[in-house]
Amino acid sequence: MQPEQRHAIEELVYRSCLALDAQEYTAFLALCTPDFRYAITTYSPELRREQVWLDHDRAGMQTLFTNLPRHNSDHSPLTRHATVYTVDLSGDAEANVVSALQVFRTQLDGGATELFAVGHFHDMVRLGGDAPKLARRAVRLDTRQLGYGYHVPF
Amino acid sequence: MSKNAAQWSAPPAFPTTHFVDSRVYTDDAIFEEEKEKLFRPSWIIACHESEIEAAFDYRLFNHPAGVPLIVIRGDDSKVRAFYNICPHRGNTILYDPAGNAKRMTCIFHQWSFDSRGNCIDISREEQGYQKRFCKADAGMREVKCEVAFGGFVWVNITDDCMSLREFIGGALDILEPYMVEPMEVFHFHKAHLRTNFKLWHDTNSEFYHDFLHYFNRITGMLQPGYFERRYTPFSNGHATVGSMQIQYDKYDGSKERAIGWPKMARGGWYMVDIFPGMTYNLRTSVLRIDTAIPLGPNEVVIEFRGLGLKRDTKEERDQRIFDHNMIWGPFGRNLHEDLLAVHGQGRAMRDGTDSRWVLQGREENSTIHDEVGMRHYYAEWSKRMGRPAYDPCREGKTEPVRAAA
Repeated sequence: MQPEQRHAIEELVYRSCLALDAQEYTAFLALCTPDFRYAITTYSPELRREQVWLDHDRAGMQTLFTNLPRHNSDHSPLTRHATVYTVDLSGDAEANVVSALQVFRTQLDGGATELFAVGHFHDMVRLGGDAPKLARRAVRLDTRQLGYGYHVPF
Repeated sequence: MSKNAAQWSAPPAFPTTHFVDSRVYTDDAIFEEEKEKLFRPSWIIACHESEIEAAFDYRLFNHPAGVPLIVIRGDDSKVRAFYNICPHRGNTILYDPAGNAKRMTCIFHQWSFDSRGNCIDISREEQGYQKRFCKADAGMREVKCEVAFGGFVWVNITDDCMSLREFIGGALDILEPYMVEPMEVFHFHKAHLRTNFKLWHDTNSEFYHDFLHYFNRITGMLQPGYFERRYTPFSNGHATVGSMQIQYDKYDGSKERAIGWPKMARGGWYMVDIFPGMTYNLRTSVLRIDTAIPLGPNEVVIEFRGLGLKRDTKEERDQRIFDHNMIWGPFGRNLHEDLLAVHGQGRAMRDGTDSRWVLQGREENSTIHDEVGMRHYYAEWSKRMGRPAYDPCREGKTEPVRAAA
């Protein structure tokens, strides 16, 4: 893999975090392919089974983003910190990317920041064209206790 | 018109059954008493039978009265519950929240127990105890345990408690037709909140807060039949809410539920609140169970379970999970709003805020925005606690201490 290609893939992951941090959902979806799919999964040691906590195609994500402002939500901003660990090419057209994810929540009143969740992004990135795009994002959460929670996907 | 301090402190102009002194949510002594008088004698849902399907499968449960429990299916398939406390030196016996243990062995000194609570091994028994103490003296503490009402594992840590059937009374009759087929838990998560456990149960006991939920306003409150839903109180503080036809397709991105629940009318929705902190919530395609485990007057862990039918095909299960996640998942539309609201109550009622009263005064012929569900709960609370909820710190008296302004 050429360093430029790796750099472009890393930048895609980081731009996706920045877009969601800023709640710029149109910008986030612009980083995704038309057949984009997003999921949040976790393993429950209590049930000893896998769990799916969110699973949407691109249209479902678009609808979710449209609906979010209609709901009551905690307004404390989230900050997603990703570190791209591995990038594995799958043929010429795709790459599988694993990134560590830490999500921080900053209280509006006083600005105290707390670690909110940890996990990994398992992204499938489609190469070619002007820039790489997200075709799949599976957020694999280690954190399963989210307090009073959050509406916005990680 | 705003209020001055005296007016703010004065009891509301309602009958004393129609408001609660907010100290019932914040007082340390009241909370300790609640553990003894509410939780110890009550039957509590520890888990579901599907979580411990095979012999020796176990599940840990922190009982709301504070006792750590092991629920385990024995070699005879019977489900039993024991303290997760080694009778030797008081150590934790099992650490993982679930697993399979033919022998339950305390890591500290390797004492072992079988699935019936018998001690089966004491390291160097004879050398240390000679004939003064033996395995027969070292059994685990067993507590009452029954599998019932939808395959849930109920526990009671009081030996001379009333029976589970007597405790529930007729409260779950409304759900009995829908809990005939075996079910399976597909979702579990916990939420840890700085709020009182009763505030969560209050939220499950009234639908007036549907104004909080865009989803419920669109699919329920604005639809025919909503205001005919009716509360029915039952003995021991339980209450049920009747059904309506939810119009799921009125919410963008949602649609009429592709699958429902055997025998239930399309779009149906029943709720049963079980005293002192559990809720059955059967909403069209998914049964949700809440179990509140208080850690302090202003701290609670709520366990959330989502269940489908054991016989579900993969497609049916996927659909139930999708339906569950849309409103009740950790990233769903409704649960987060409820949690945020009770978090806000906990924030406003913590010590020193001068929060005084919680109103439960709505009367609408026991229909959906009537607050009779909460009133019924606090009538039972007052009876069991020996304190009136409207004035909990004045023992033995029937009238409020505080004079009207």
